[in-house]
Formats: sequence, structure tokens, C-alpha cells
Amino acid sequence: MSSLPRRIIKETQRLMQEPVPGINAIPDENNARYFHVIVTGPTDSPFEGGIFKLELFLPEDYPMSAPKVRFITKIYHPNIDRLGRICLDVLKDKWSPALQIRTILLSIQALLSAPNPDDPLANDVAELWKVNEAEAIKNAREWTQKYAVED
Amino acid sequence: MSADSDMEYSDNDCEYDDYYNSGEDCDVEHLDPKKTDPEYFEYECLTVEEVEKLLNESVEKLNTILQITPSLAKVLLLEHQWINQVVVDKYRQNANSLLVETRIKPACNNTDPSLEVENVAATTSAAAAAAATESSSTSSPTTTTTTVVVTPQSLGTLSTYSKSPTTTPTTSNSSSSLSRSQMMCPVCATVQQGDKFYSLSCGHSFCKDCWSMYFETQIFLGISTQIGCMAQMCNVRVPEDLVLTLVTRAVMREKYQQFAFKDYVKSHPELRFCPGPNCQIIVRSREIAAKRAVCTACGTSFCFKCGMDYHAPTDCQVIRKWLTKCADDSETANYISANTKDCPKCHICIEKNGGCNHMQCFNCKYDFCWMCLGDWKTHGSEYYECSRYKDNPNIANESVHVQAREALKKYLHYYERWENHSKSMQLEQQTLDRLRQRINEKVMKGRGTWIDWQYLFNAAALLAKCRYTLQYTYPYAYFMESGSRKDLFEYQQAQLEAEIENLSWKIERAETTDLGDLENQMDIAEKRRTTLLKDFFPVEA
Repeated sequence: MSSLPRRIIKETQRLMQEPVPGINAIPDENNARYFHVIVTGPTDSPFEGGIFKLELFLPEDYPMSAPKVRFITKIYHPNIDRLGRICLDVLKDKWSPALQIRTILLSIQALLSAPNPDDPLANDVAELWKVNEAEAIKNAREWTQKYAVED
Repeated sequence: MSADSDMEYSDNDCEYDDYYNSGEDCDVEHLDPKKTDPEYFEYECLTVEEVEKLLNESVEKLNTILQITPSLAKVLLLEHQWINQVVVDKYRQNANSLLVETRIKPACNNTDPSLEVENVAATTSAAAAAAATESSSTSSPTTTTTTVVVTPQSLGTLSTYSKSPTTTPTTSNSSSSLSRSQMMCPVCATVQQGDKFYSLSCGHSFCKDCWSMYFETQIFLGISTQIGCMAQMCNVRVPEDLVLTLVTRAVMREKYQQFAFKDYVKSHPELRFCPGPNCQIIVRSREIAAKRAVCTACGTSFCFKCGMDYHAPTDCQVIRKWLTKCADDSETANYISANTKDCPKCHICIEKNGGCNHMQCFNCKYDFCWMCLGDWKTHGSEYYECSRYKDNPNIANESVHVQAREALKKYLHYYERWENHSKSMQLEQQTLDRLRQRINEKVMKGRGTWIDWQYLFNAAALLAKCRYTLQYTYPYAYFMESGSRKDLFEYQQAQLEAEIENLSWKIERAETTDLGDLENQMDIAEKRRTTLLKDFFPVEA
């Protein structure tokens, strides 16, 4: 494996030294480009109290192309599908090499606080979110309790 | 020489025209084909080099008027359909707003604080999150220390990018610990000499290597003239000169130039790439109309406006609608309009293998129309009606089910005829081969020389042209509202179809002695075709 770019080393160091509140990202011991991520559900959101596991991978041409991020914990959210794939513009066409792992994870945390059912990935969830928001939020709470809260 | 004798000369030019087809018509044609030929279209086929020259002339003209770099001129022209005057006017009116509009300059002159690696630590996580989310509102905490005010006068010498920007606030803020000449690149996080850095008018500064790697990634994705600044939420455009300064690999430079050329051609309203496979030709016309252009290099014939197959008298929107519909329903339609029909008299199964709709059963010798299966005797005159679809007058009172059936029936009526003529066109080559074979046989038997028979090829070419137009009358009729105009259209369509079938029949059975008769028939068919086009294929402004 080729040597790790300075950019990745710097980012990793800062993630460890000055972690973002509510976000924890640790590189895999065998692969410095693969991160085990934990995001806590934001307060005042239906995901409050949940601990969500994600995986993050930095592709070969990072930071020219965006990191690949996926939810591992099941989550009821209009912009996240059954496989945990996330619909977020900064991970796709709005990616900029000036963005970082921490800014991306902050965006994901913000997405949990503000779901956007008008740009859906999980169609049935988005539909319910639009038609009956209270019911959708109730579902999201239940899923959070069921899948994201450790006993 | 008097004007009168001039007239006579031009009369003699059309010596083959008969008396009724008087010289006056012919005269007009000589004077102004734009008025007499509804399909008349002026265009030229250009090579890549010729188009490059053409575009460069535009760029140079703008350079000299406004005193700007070619790179900037290209962006301005690209965004204004290559109309020099519009750019010049806008520039003189308000250069600043023009540069903002074309994304040469940022909308407001401030630098995003979340940009720098070191700066992120300083900002609160909330502010960073706000900047990171997809919300389009610009982040509020902006510290505008230096605003580069550019007056229109000084723009001429302004380069669209700059090297080692000492004016940007980020440098002094972020690198207090570093010596003045050294900076940290926010992308690769390495500290380098200041002269390794480049920035656009937005002031976002990155090192040379990162820019170049970024450009290569974008070029690889097929992006060229639309490459934007690397900074997040910054949409300032990267002009050609910076890309070509920093991308050093020859392959990538070439790719960039190819993609940029494509963007330039596509943004130019007078230019069209020939749609022929692997064809490099670009067609140019000052008239942007749905007219037929034929590529001189590969022979591809297409509609100049939409790039699809030529489709007169139908317009671009309708033909698109029709083709989409055909793609949807084609399987059903294919199934229903099978390739064979039974003879209406003796019921023997017949496969159509030639272009003509006038069928003669080889078994019982019955003459009938392939379209309606009726007796051909009723088809000789102007009462030829099998091209016309008859609406059920009572349709509004029928049930939904019946209406749906009627709709399908209507569609199939038009589709069958569309498909039928399309097949006839495909059989044209076979017909031509047979024609050639027949001529050879005749010549061998001593009935006329090979030259005597040449007129048949002209006739066959004209037949193909007429059939092509006829094919495209069916989508037109399908989307037409019922009424007197549709009645007129279908009347003319029927006339055209009847004459085409006549012509087809005559070509298949022609002898050398039939020359006059056949030429007469050719003339009639072409007249019907142009009449229909004149009335229903309006020349757009």
C-alpha cells in the first residue's frame, strides 16, 4: 500500500486530539483509510438517545473525490435507505476538496436534525414524512429505541 | 440584350417542363428559392479546424474591443451564445455584474472561514455545521478584511487568476506561526512556499499540485468549461488559461481542449455536430430551423434544429412525442400489424416484398390495396382515402372502455401507415437491385441501351424522397385536432399517397417507351409533395 498522504494523517490527528462533540471517528487498525464512526442522535430530534454506527472510507483519490459513508445501524430517515446509503449533496456533486471528514460528519449529524423529504432516497419513508409527519417521527423514535439504543 | 429576351432564355432553361408547368414558376425559382421551395436550407459543413478558426475570430474580435484575455473572452462568449455585441453592451453597461453573472467573480467578495484546515478549529462546530449542510444560505460570520474593488477600466489588464495572493485574508490569519513566505494548502495540508499558490478572483488559495490534480479529476469526469473553484460553496469558474498552465500531462490537456471545444460548439446556436457515427463534421447555418441538413462527409441527413432524422412536415416537438409513443407501444403495434396479410379474394397468405401498395395477388390476379385491402379500381382517382383515419362521430357518448379502444385504434391506424412506409423505404435498396437486374436483362435482349434506362434511377430516387415525406405526415396527422385544417391535410396526404403509389407501380413496370409518362408522374408526385410542405411545414422565423 502506498504511503498515507499528509492530508489524511493531519485530519486523523485532529479528529483524535480535538474530537467533535457527538461524533467519534477512529481509523481501522489495519487500514488507515477506513474509519469506524459513531454519531449520537442530536437532541430535539427523533434520533435523540440513539448511538448510530457508520463506516467511512477514503478512496484512493481523496480529497479529489468524496469519502464513502454509510450507516451500519438501521435508521428511519427519508434521506437514508435500507442499506444505510445517504443522500447528501456534499457527498456527491457538492463535494469540494476543501471539505473534510469532520465537516462531512457534521453535515450528516445536521441531516439527522433536519430531514429533507423533498429529496428522498427511501421513498416510503419520505412519503410518510410528507403526508403524516407525526406518524413518521413516531416511527423514527421507535426505530431509534429498537436499533440504536444499547441495553 | 433586352429584358424580354432574357425571359425567354430562362423559359428555355426548363425545357422539360410541359406547357401547364409554365416558365413563370421556373423564373421565380431562379430568383428566390427561399420563397418557392419550403425545404430550401442554406448551410455549410465545416471541419473541426474551420470551426476553431471561426470561434477564434470571434474571440479575437472581442479581445480587441474590450482588451481582455482570450481565456476570459471565451467564457463570456460561451455564456452569451457567441454574440459579440451582447457581450460588449453588457460589459460597457456594468462589467462587474457581467463578471459575476458569468461566474468569473464571486457574488460577494468574502472568503469562507471554514475553508482553512487550521481555521475550522477556531470556528464553533455549529458554524461549521451550518456551512457544511446543504442549505444554500451563505454562512453569516464573514470577516471582510480586504475587498478587491475592480473598476471596469482596470479590468482589461486583470488576469482571471493570480499567483501567490498576498491580499487574501486567509493567509495572514491562518499561518501566524509560519513565516510570511510560507503557506499551508488546505487540501493537501502541506506547508509550501507562497509562490506555489494560485487563486481565482474569489481569493481561495490552493497549491499548484492540488489544483492540477483537481483539474485532472474534473477533466476525467468530462467537465471542462464548467470547472469551479475548489473551495466549498464557491462557484467561481476556472478559466482555460489556469487549467492549461497547471495541467502538464499532454493527454489530459488534449482531453480538456476536446471537451471545451464540444462545449463551445454546443453553446453556439449556429453550429451542430453531425450526428453520424464517428463523424467530425460540424454543420453551420445562420437560419436555425427544422430543415434538412446533409453531411457532406458521411451523408447523414438530419434535422438541423433537433439533430434527429429529418421529419417534415412534423415539427421537432411533435416528432419527439410520436417517437416516444412508438417506443412505448411498439410491441403491441408490431404484434397487431404483422408482416403478412391475406388476399381479400382468395385468402392466400401474402408477404409484401416490394414498395408498392398496389398489390396483385399472384394466385387469383386480384388487384387490391395493401393498406385497406379494398379493390384497387377505386384507388385510381382522387377518391383514394386509405390514408385518412375516420373518427367515430359518437365517441363522446361511449364508455371509457370503448374510448380506450378507439384511442388505440386511432394510434394503430397512424402507426401502421408510419411503419408501412418505413418498411417500404427499407425495401428501396432491394427494389433498386431488382431494377438494375431488370435493366441488364432488357439491355441484353437489345431493348434499349443502358443509357436509355437511366431515367429509372432518378425516378426511384424521387420515389424515396416522396415516401420519406409521406411517412412523416402520419405523426403530424395523429397529433392534429379534428377540423377543416385536418380535413385539408388528410386530403393532400391522400393525394400524395395516391401519386406515390402510381409512381411506384409505374417504375416497377416501366419500358423505354414510357419515359414521358413516367416523367409526368414524377412531376405530379413532387408537386403534391411540395404543395403539402408549403401549406403545412411553416418556415419558422
